[in-house]
Amino acid sequence: MTKRKMFFRMITASLIRRRSRMFVALLAIAVGATILCGLVTIYYDVPKQMGEQFRSYGANMIFVASAQSETESEVLTEESMNEALKYMKKDQLVGVSPYRYETVTVNEQPIIAAGTDLDNVQKTSPYWYIDGEWPSEDGQILVGKETAKLLSVDVGGRLTITYSPEALENPDQPAETDAAAGEDAVTMNFTVTGTLDTGGKEEDYIFMSLADMAALTGDNSRIDVAELSVSATQEELNAYVEEITEKVPAVTPRLVKRVTQSETTVLSKLQALVLLVTIVVLMLMMICVATTMMAVVTERRQEIGLRKALGASNKSIVTEFMGESVMLGAVGGLIGSFLGFAFAQAVSMNVFNSTITFRPLLVPIAIIAAMAVTGLASLVPIRSATDVDPALVLKGE
Amino acid sequence: MFLRMVKGALFRQKGKMVMIAFTILLGASLATSMLNIMLDVGDKVNQELKTYGANITVVPKQNSVLEDIYELEGNDADGIKSAYLQEDELGKIKTIFWAFNIVDFAPFIDTTVDLMGNDVKLVGTWFNHHLSLPTGEELDAGVTSMRSWWTITDGEWMDEQAGEDEVMVGTTLAKAQGISVGDRISVSTRHGSKDLKVVGIYESGDDADEQIYTTLDIAQELSGTDGLLSSIEVSALTTPDNELAQKAAKDPKSLSIADYETWYCTAYTSSICYQIQEVITGSVASPVRQVAESEGAIMEKTRLLMILITILSLVGSGLGISNLVTASVMERSKELGLLKAIGAKDSAITALILTEIMITALVGGAIGYFVGYGFAQIIGQTVFASSINMKPMVIPIVAILILVVTFFGSIPAIRTLLRMKPAEVLHGR
Repeated sequence: MTKRKMFFRMITASLIRRRSRMFVALLAIAVGATILCGLVTIYYDVPKQMGEQFRSYGANMIFVASAQSETESEVLTEESMNEALKYMKKDQLVGVSPYRYETVTVNEQPIIAAGTDLDNVQKTSPYWYIDGEWPSEDGQILVGKETAKLLSVDVGGRLTITYSPEALENPDQPAETDAAAGEDAVTMNFTVTGTLDTGGKEEDYIFMSLADMAALTGDNSRIDVAELSVSATQEELNAYVEEITEKVPAVTPRLVKRVTQSETTVLSKLQALVLLVTIVVLMLMMICVATTMMAVVTERRQEIGLRKALGASNKSIVTEFMGESVMLGAVGGLIGSFLGFAFAQAVSMNVFNSTITFRPLLVPIAIIAAMAVTGLASLVPIRSATDVDPALVLKGE
Repeated sequence: MFLRMVKGALFRQKGKMVMIAFTILLGASLATSMLNIMLDVGDKVNQELKTYGANITVVPKQNSVLEDIYELEGNDADGIKSAYLQEDELGKIKTIFWAFNIVDFAPFIDTTVDLMGNDVKLVGTWFNHHLSLPTGEELDAGVTSMRSWWTITDGEWMDEQAGEDEVMVGTTLAKAQGISVGDRISVSTRHGSKDLKVVGIYESGDDADEQIYTTLDIAQELSGTDGLLSSIEVSALTTPDNELAQKAAKDPKSLSIADYETWYCTAYTSSICYQIQEVITGSVASPVRQVAESEGAIMEKTRLLMILITILSLVGSGLGISNLVTASVMERSKELGLLKAIGAKDSAITALILTEIMITALVGGAIGYFVGYGFAQIIGQTVFASSINMKPMVIPIVAILILVVTFFGSIPAIRTLLRMKPAEVLHGR
């Protein structure tokens, strides 16, 4: 008991007496551990955070109606869509936007109108560039850039949209259909809040809320397709597809291969990049810490020589000096693991605007790594000091 | 005498100096590799993002609306399409100001054909079209690389050089019609009919699964549009849009001359679109926002991430170096005390130690630069399978970093020692 007490007293006393030198060593270890912790946390967090960035490519899964046979295809409804959504983890779902397409006429020109959940579209298609504003209430619509040009309407303008079931069968004479199907046709007025620029076929459509679409067509159950943006890996997505196909027969989920495939390719490259960078930085930092520790211990050759001359055994010297180094390592590792988390958090806030989860497992890992590096690094100079004749060491050769 | 003392110190304390040089070498190599990767990561990620396909589409003026609407209503598109792009102008895309940034492009012509009594969309395009440009550049362009997300479920990609009458069929269509690889399918339009050999079945996960892909010549023959194209997809390396680019995209004429020059000479999506419109007559080039916008966002995030990691490793290596330098100066307290005791001036001692350490730092830094170069290349080759472009500006940055760090690492220690009385130092307090 007293022996152990003495051991600790010697270690702590030596640490405190040589305050400035030990501070230097501690700083080096803490920086090393900070980098270890920070980079490993970032490495584990990058796929998740980057995955969310990749959601800006839009939907990676779609739900379509299951075609039972040639003549009778089952209709996709909001209920069956919600039923299917139950099988997905809520926190992975970035957005779901159901779409319903109908051909309507504006100034006797046939145009495709889509009814959708406009709030969710902003999540599933974040790349849509709106000149003007997103519609915020019923009776407001978005008009595709090309259609806006064709109809010569601008933001703030009004459009009269007519829907008549027969218009579909008689596309070449929209003027007459209007008159012929007079009693079936529904006409509504809408305000254009914005024009849509996507560089894709959406520029030819008109977008309105599902409620408006239901009012226009007098039928509110059917949707044609639902776009989903899911923040998940390719394997998880495949699992969802299988599960939903099996459990919800009315819905056929399909992956948008262009998005999922490319995401997997690019994401794996990015992760490999961060991994390699982490390895290189860690390797170099560990050597840096090791050289600092070596310098600090080498300095004390004379002390070692003196102890030997006083009759200390090699074993007790090694134990004491190692004890000191390992203790430094533990303290440095502890400080570093918290600083590292702070650094990773700062990176995450700056780059991705989101917080990261603290990984408690990293604290013991960082401490053990720091202890191992400092211990091994000081072992070499201690050994070389204890191996030589105390007289030579004391003389300073 | 001064030189002799420096030399003496360097050689007498070989071990210690080697250790300092080694630490500086590590720090310098870390700084070099991280800075180079950071500066090049944008380009590399940009290249990787090309797997998402084209970010610019070129279509004839005033046509896109008509096509989509009439197609929906089941009309034969032939009669309506009034405008086309010219095939012989395709090569001009590689002559624009930012030609070097255009990594891939493919022309398309589509038509509706009759396949066993069903109307099917047939698309003619390039697969692995070999281009020899007047600039001497060789390029393989076409959908083989621009549709990298397609999986070939059966057979293989078409080889354009084979010159046979071949087609690839979408998986949905193939299943519905019972088509398999090696079959010959007969398609016809009012311009004629053809017997084509199926060489591959692909799965694309979109509309193309219900279509037939073949060479440009076959599709042009079937649709009676010799030498004409309906659209061009271009995959270009671009700089993320900023305010200037957005303003220019609306109307380039609204810019001042200086702004216009800046915009035209920067690889913004909008300026590349503008330049393509200049060389292809009667065309409208527009960015595919899904790809163009996301590219910008992801590149920016990656770059920011790498900058922060680089800063962390620079701070780390800086602290590591200055730590060791401080420790090594403190260690030599006796020597300095002795020098003072025999009458050396403070300035002389400072100059002596600084020179020693700076020489060590220079050697370590120089070797470290090349080691760092090696690390950067290893990372580049492993991750991106291409070498990292070494920027000359990294050399002065690393040099200044090393000099500043060693200088400020040694100054406080030297000052502390000089302030002490020689007797105390020699006594070992």
